[in-house]
Amino acid sequence: MQRTKILKRIVFVAFAIIAVRLFFIQIIEHSAWVEKANEQHTMLKDIVARRGEIYMMDGDEPVAVVMNQTTYSVIIDPAVTDKEGIKTVLNKYAKDNITADIDEIFEREGLRYYIIARNVTHTDAAKIAEEGIEGVWFQKSNKRVYPEGEMASGLLGFVNADGLGQYGVEGSLNHILSGKDGLLKTISDVNNVALSIGDDNVKIPAEDGKNILLSVDRGLERGIEEIAMKHIDSTDASSAAVLVMDPNTGEVLTMANLPNYDPGDYGNVKDASAYVNYTTEVPYEPASIFKNFTFSAAINEGKMTADTEYYNEAYTVVDGNQIRNAEQRAKITNQTITMRDALYWSLNVGSIQALKFLGDNKDEITATGRERLYDYYYNKFRFAHNTGIELMEAEGFIWDPHAEIYGLNAAYANMTFGQNLSATMIQTATAFSAVINGGYWRTPTIVKGTIENGKIVDFEHKDLVREQILKSETSEMMREMLIHNRDYKVKGGIDKKGYAIGGKSGTAQTIVNGSYDDDYEQMIGSYIGFVGPEGELPKYVIMVKMWGEGAALSGQEAGGLFDELSNYVIDYLKIKPSI
Amino acid sequence: MRKHKSDIVILFTALGLMALGLIVIYAIGPMRANVLNSTYGSNYGTNDFFIGQLRSVAFALVAFFLAFKVIPYKFIRKYAKIILVIALSLSILLWVLSKAGSSLAKCELGECRWFQLGPISFQPAEAIKIALVIYLSDFLARKKEEGKIGDVKEFWVPFVIVCIISLGLVVVAQGDLGTGVALISIILGMLLISGVSSKQYLIVLAIIMAITVGAVATSSHRMQRVEAWYTTLTGGESSDSTYHIENAMLAIGTGGFFGVGVGNSVQATGYLPESINDSVFAIMGETFGFVGLITVISVFAVMLLRMVKVAEHTTPLDEKYLVIGVFAWTLAQVVVNIMAMTSLVPVTGITLPLLSYGGTSMVFIAFAIGLVLQISCYTSREVSKHENTSSRRGLGRAHHTSSRRNP
Repeated sequence: MQRTKILKRIVFVAFAIIAVRLFFIQIIEHSAWVEKANEQHTMLKDIVARRGEIYMMDGDEPVAVVMNQTTYSVIIDPAVTDKEGIKTVLNKYAKDNITADIDEIFEREGLRYYIIARNVTHTDAAKIAEEGIEGVWFQKSNKRVYPEGEMASGLLGFVNADGLGQYGVEGSLNHILSGKDGLLKTISDVNNVALSIGDDNVKIPAEDGKNILLSVDRGLERGIEEIAMKHIDSTDASSAAVLVMDPNTGEVLTMANLPNYDPGDYGNVKDASAYVNYTTEVPYEPASIFKNFTFSAAINEGKMTADTEYYNEAYTVVDGNQIRNAEQRAKITNQTITMRDALYWSLNVGSIQALKFLGDNKDEITATGRERLYDYYYNKFRFAHNTGIELMEAEGFIWDPHAEIYGLNAAYANMTFGQNLSATMIQTATAFSAVINGGYWRTPTIVKGTIENGKIVDFEHKDLVREQILKSETSEMMREMLIHNRDYKVKGGIDKKGYAIGGKSGTAQTIVNGSYDDDYEQMIGSYIGFVGPEGELPKYVIMVKMWGEGAALSGQEAGGLFDELSNYVIDYLKIKPSI
Repeated sequence: MRKHKSDIVILFTALGLMALGLIVIYAIGPMRANVLNSTYGSNYGTNDFFIGQLRSVAFALVAFFLAFKVIPYKFIRKYAKIILVIALSLSILLWVLSKAGSSLAKCELGECRWFQLGPISFQPAEAIKIALVIYLSDFLARKKEEGKIGDVKEFWVPFVIVCIISLGLVVVAQGDLGTGVALISIILGMLLISGVSSKQYLIVLAIIMAITVGAVATSSHRMQRVEAWYTTLTGGESSDSTYHIENAMLAIGTGGFFGVGVGNSVQATGYLPESINDSVFAIMGETFGFVGLITVISVFAVMLLRMVKVAEHTTPLDEKYLVIGVFAWTLAQVVVNIMAMTSLVPVTGITLPLLSYGGTSMVFIAFAIGLVLQISCYTSREVSKHENTSSRRGLGRAHHTSSRRNP
């Protein structure tokens, strides 16, 4: 055969094989390759929404207490970046932000990506960029900054490294603050840079989070925190929580959990309990403060008045349990005294008597009494319910009037003075507000509104409750008794003249290792009260709680803190006395 | 033989391919620049690669027309030996320089294949291809005329020595199996036409295949490529070594029937390695689709077949052999490059003639094709008498109609 023909055949055969192969790849396998290509070329990227900032009120003006700051991470490619150049520039502009030993990084083999500095400010990042060093690029990130430092940290919470709000307002209202991340779906090059090629690119813009305005007053919060810290230092207490609210609106003005922590450095907090907002998240036994609620119930049902008398013994026996009065002085023990005195001296026998009155039998606790007390506690004062405040909260617990337990009457006897149940401070203060504000239970709120384009937009609260649960006469009688409780404070010059300041302390035995600590070695002190001009409805309710591991605190210490706070509130909020 | 017009088909296919190469580089050059800039921090301008290709094409056209119109082949043949000696010397010089660690020798991934003189780089292996074609056409023609073809002492000994030195410098010293494949194709193609006996030819073929297998088996990175090829062909697990072939196939596959269109290649944005040189066929597959690739391979096929026809119609033996040498060279590069991109053979690192980015290879192949065109001006109407003429039917004729008008 002619040999050039062999060459021609080789051409034909080779190109035929190639043509068949191309047909196979490009026509038959086409869709499979397209699918594979999409997998390789499509970049999905979140467009990060800007997180809302948090504001407090400062008088009538909103001020930011949690803000965003854009910072930059500086990334280098050690294979390309000029070592001496980047070293000089970083030392010049971002010395404190350098994350590693630059010399060491450059010695690592095959390293093509390293975050050499973090949290560099925009200004410094711009200066570094201006130097034009090869193989240096920047990554934007957002950082929370706290102009007020540690103030109200337990209320505010923090944002973790993943950008998720944790604890406090950041955690509870994360859905409002975080906004909604957008999505970028696009064909990208090998370095993940978006290309304009392709027709199913998707861009969903991010919805920025809303700025939240709290009803908390910045100045009041700070002043109260400072006073409370002073009291922690001067007593055995290691912690304190303070709640100030407007009983006529339900707005919270102060929510302090002390000591604070640094939310910008939340990772270095040794004990995670520091993150907890004790005012809403931790139910406890507010103790004698609850006598207010038992008395209110009995008065409101017309079963007694402040002047109703009973024979006060040192103790009473319920279900075989001896329940004693803490106050045993002869003047009131084994005497006929009024219910006003019983509240004044915080007599447990007296509050049990109120429960007996409520059950229409002055000698015994009856099922009717339990049912009525439960109706007030559960349905009217709304204990064992979330109050509906915008924050994370705990429900607490009260006994059902027909609970199948041994000693149910004893449990109810305890419940009259705030033991054997649990309630949060916000539940207690909200219920107390109803006791003294004319009888209205209102949903407490801490979010005043949102701030959009510098303007305050009212917050759309859902399911706000405003319900009269007590007659105004009941409320009036309770106010009178609570003010009477503090007569000696007026005489002692602690409470100023011209103001109506009422209050009630509570000293709670705590449960240590599963049972009540009868040695009284660890106790929680609480105090709740109100302030306002004399003869008017109270303006503010203040609740204080002090505690510490192994610390025997009582209403005495808490009352001491209340004394100073009530005066501070009067001064700071400029409550004018009645003349 | 009287001079007539050159083979217009070869002329236009060659020019057409160069133009197509320019279009493709124009479309993907900016992407290439972008990838290199962002990955290696280099500083390429958007049009640097297009300008580079434009420069290569300009040089190639100069070489093309020098070979086609200016330098008579007879003159070149006179210096065939010297040309080969110079080409081989350049490679020896490169080897010496690289051993001496000179900056004139440019090395990549441990293989030193380029001279670097300022901005100009030059690959001496390309010179060996053209030099070997020129030398062998002279050598074979002389031996044929002397009747020494197949003679052990007079023919095989010098032939084998020349081939071994050439291949040794390229494959062993420079580690360039791609150029080696082209050289083997040149050697086998020219030997076939030289009229060596079938028996001897088959022995040579067997020896070369054995050596090739040996060269592959003794090199770990070549074995890796063979394994990667086998993995891809049989649809095995992806790995780093299968990345290149897979992405070439991905580019070709996504092209579908009509392609994604000029400027819409995604694979060229950094996914496909060597997208502007060795892998340009895959990018063309993505851009122009099945229709485009079939057109491209048809153009190559037509050009190659026309070369064979020119050879058939060329009477002087040296010219005939030269045309076949250029044919074998072109065929090897086209087929091996495309088959590698379609995972029919392992990747060897060979450029696609006239289309790939890269100056040296384009200049030399253009020069070689120019020589073929020069020779095509002297074809005879008849198939040359050294060949069996029994089956001319159905074959077209070389383009020499002008001789009819000017008898």
